[in-house]
Amino acid sequence: MKLDRVAALIGKEVRELSRDRITLALAFLMPLVLLFLFGYAVTLDVKGIRLGVYDGDGTPASRALLDRFTATRYFTLRRHFTALSEIEPAMQRSDVRIVLVIPARFQRRLAAGETAPVQLIADGTYAATAALAVGYAEQIIDGFPMPRPADVRIESRVWYNPELRSANFVVPGLFAVILMAFPPLLTALAIVREKESGSIQQIYASPVTSAEFVAAKLIPYAVVALLEVLLLVVVGTLWFDVPFVGSPLLLLVASCVYVLTTVAIGLLVSAVTRTQLTAMLVALLVSLMPSMLFSGFLFPVFTMPLGMQLYSAMIPASYFTEVSRGIVLKGVGWNALWPNLALLMAYTLVLFGFAAWRLKQKVAR
Amino acid sequence: MNRRVLGLLRKELLQLLRDPVVLFVVVYLYTLEVVTCTRALTFEVQNMPFGVVDQDRSVASRRLIEMFDLSDAFDLTRQSDTPAAVNAWLDRSAVGMVLVIPPGFDREHRAGLRPALQILLDGTYSNTAESALHYAHALTARYDAEQPPLLRVSATAAHAVAVPRVWYNPDQSTKTFMVLSMIALAGMMVGAIVPAASIVREKERGTIEQLLVTPIRTGELFLAKTVPTVALNVLALFPALIIVALFDVPLRGELPTLLIMAAIFQLSAVAFGVLVAAVTRSTQQALLLAFFGLFPILFLSGTMTPIESMPPLLQWLSRLSPLRYYMEILQGVFLKGSGWRELWPQAVALLAIGSTLFALAAATFRRRLQ
Repeated sequence: MKLDRVAALIGKEVRELSRDRITLALAFLMPLVLLFLFGYAVTLDVKGIRLGVYDGDGTPASRALLDRFTATRYFTLRRHFTALSEIEPAMQRSDVRIVLVIPARFQRRLAAGETAPVQLIADGTYAATAALAVGYAEQIIDGFPMPRPADVRIESRVWYNPELRSANFVVPGLFAVILMAFPPLLTALAIVREKESGSIQQIYASPVTSAEFVAAKLIPYAVVALLEVLLLVVVGTLWFDVPFVGSPLLLLVASCVYVLTTVAIGLLVSAVTRTQLTAMLVALLVSLMPSMLFSGFLFPVFTMPLGMQLYSAMIPASYFTEVSRGIVLKGVGWNALWPNLALLMAYTLVLFGFAAWRLKQKVAR
Repeated sequence: MNRRVLGLLRKELLQLLRDPVVLFVVVYLYTLEVVTCTRALTFEVQNMPFGVVDQDRSVASRRLIEMFDLSDAFDLTRQSDTPAAVNAWLDRSAVGMVLVIPPGFDREHRAGLRPALQILLDGTYSNTAESALHYAHALTARYDAEQPPLLRVSATAAHAVAVPRVWYNPDQSTKTFMVLSMIALAGMMVGAIVPAASIVREKERGTIEQLLVTPIRTGELFLAKTVPTVALNVLALFPALIIVALFDVPLRGELPTLLIMAAIFQLSAVAFGVLVAAVTRSTQQALLLAFFGLFPILFLSGTMTPIESMPPLLQWLSRLSPLRYYMEILQGVFLKGSGWRELWPQAVALLAIGSTLFALAAATFRRRLQ
């Protein structure tokens, strides 16, 4: 490998990139847009569920029960039904997601020392939130008018994310996902573009070796990716007020390894595809989609069936999500994280090896 | 004009059908991807690994651990006598929850002293942690109920009791939701990317100049470029319907309604793709822009996370996402048995979004080419 040849190729690549305003803007703006979008929109915290009520009792007791609902942040009262027949159309139009039906004689039953049933009707279409909403509602109702004592108390303590804020787990996970969105795609397109336009033939005919060619393609995009990481970490933790417990230096080292993995995936994609459209679709299917869905970024891996857990173990983002959450939220150090980093490193080397071999085959032919 | 459009349409259809990779990706997105995501992704607490520190070592504590382990929600993976190990378990994500049973638990329970169980949760997955805590409460309540009545603290005071009923999806499985989300998502991605790539390719190769010297008008060009994609997506719903049936999701509404609604949605999806093609010059730019434009559309649509939980500004923005209306349509037609009477506002919204995007695209396209 000759350094001056690599430098010349890098210079060409950088000039090409800096002249493509749209791509350049996307490279730095989109990660930020994604960060804000995910940070704000991906919140699984249940709050403001649209509540409807049919109060068939109309007594101080029934109103007190309703007050307990509206006092929490989980529910906002949207509709007061005056007839039971109004409930169904409102649910169909999704005006309300959960309906409280307080039957007549609610107060009299309580006064008589009986148990007074209250009906809850929930819209199950959003099952995840429906389950939590019903849980909260049951808690409120069962504790009315007085909380009942249980024989076994539970003292719970939540570690790492005591307020159970979604942003605290979404933001560190995002580092892994956003990096899988851009660098692989950009790298793959940079190489496939030359294939599609035929200019790669000129590279083959020139004295440039495949290693030099690959290095020149990867280095600029790896640098772009690394800048993206810095941007994401700084803006993400400061803006979303995510506590940074661990060592920033360790995160930086880990990010360097991960950045190499992402560009290696792009290289691999470029080695097996011929047009930009297919390169992009393949990149989407092998890097971004699995990283977003199966890496444990949103959905915990342990809830998946075994086959999918194995699949998840094949995705580099799974390891980096764990690393970045470990450093940011848990403050764990090198001794807990080195297996993940070693795996990422091995993964990257295999990808590079395979891609270089494919490209070399092409050159030899 | 008919013959012009038909001729171009025929060429576009052939081009689409001859591209095996694109067809493969479409079928993959509508079937395999739907299956894997639905089977794998859930916010329910299932098989959460948990650890136990049993400092009591009594019959009672063993019974309690057994109840947790036998439930679907939890799987016992670590056990210890001392709390010293807990730190390492949680740090390495070996467990998501630790149950600490203090010494004297059994004795205090028998004496009616209401002993405390300690539960340590990894809050990293905040939603899952919260559900896990709900489960733990339910499990200890069941444990209470198992005990002979003499031991139980009397709880006879008058109180209200909840009788929950869940409509449309009684077993509250997230699978139903997931299947429909993934189908909506597939429609959006294919609908946006395929026409964008097909138009921009003509720009890049210069063949667009040839089209411009023919009598074809911009609108006709868009029509010929998008109709195959719309048809492909509507047809792709049929294999998807099989998948839906495999997951026991009922189709309570009518099939023609669904197909027409899907076509209306596709209009806005392809319009987005056309707009992307109109503002970009190379395939790379178009693909990147389409790709990243899809993110806001996707994440503001409520297909991944509930819209109700978002801040007000984003809730307002979500009205601009065509996917949001399609998701409501799919849920309505499949789960609630809704028809045109309930869903016409969504259809109107989709038509409005679609025609606005088309108009923008046509304006940009003409301006760029002059």
